[in-house]
Amino acid sequence: MSSETELKGCAGCARSAKWQRDFPIEWDGDHYVTRREMVKFLTLGSLLLASANWITVVASKLLHRGSKTESVIGLVSELDRNRSLLFRYPTEQDPCIAVRTPEGRIVAFSQVCTHLSCAVVYDKSKDGLFCPCHLGLFNLQGQPVAGPPTRPLQRITVEQRGEDLYATGLEG
Amino acid sequence: MSIRSQGTTLFAAILVLVASAVVLQLWLLTVSMEALLGGEYKTLVPAAAGSTLLLLVNAGLLRYVFRFDRQTHERELRGGQTIRF
Repeated sequence: MSSETELKGCAGCARSAKWQRDFPIEWDGDHYVTRREMVKFLTLGSLLLASANWITVVASKLLHRGSKTESVIGLVSELDRNRSLLFRYPTEQDPCIAVRTPEGRIVAFSQVCTHLSCAVVYDKSKDGLFCPCHLGLFNLQGQPVAGPPTRPLQRITVEQRGEDLYATGLEG
Repeated sequence: MSIRSQGTTLFAAILVLVASAVVLQLWLLTVSMEALLGGEYKTLVPAAAGSTLLLLVNAGLLRYVFRFDRQTHERELRGGQTIRF
């Protein structure tokens, strides 16, 4: 078969290679379809991401659900003797610490450091909550003041009823 | 310039917008996860609302793409436009 016969009906592609004539790719059409499909695919991804965001909201509500319960965490005399009191709230897996401030108020926080989850302890000399793992320090408002932690400690609301101390909820 | 060529350019522009919105949504999800694990629940609802807003923008753009596509097909079927690939 002569080359002239081969090119018959292929106007505009006389200079193209044989493999291109055998397997022509319609680039405009190809780009049109692939971009349209990509927009569809990305919108589906967008739907999944928005759903995942709402799942975090639902998860937070589920995690927060136990925070409404009240429980006795100890005696005021015990707190006054040591200036700090360890307890668990809202579940047995959540260690917390209550501290009597120099002004006489009682404050309580989660004992889990917001850096890498070590347990913070009350440090009388620094008058704050100290994390011995990476030398982080939180003041008695729960705010990080030194070391690697950047987020405040989870605050627990406490109430004094007679001689008993009650944890009544999680703040925030 | 054929309608399809115009569509290709238009879809490329829309694709950039949608991709940017998806990147923003990814960032919002990262922030939400960090807030959830850190116990800071206040940021979760605004982040989810922002993500939903971006989803609506994306859905609107996709609807526009479908409409453009349908109009192009109708024009092709009527033969009012010379199709050249």
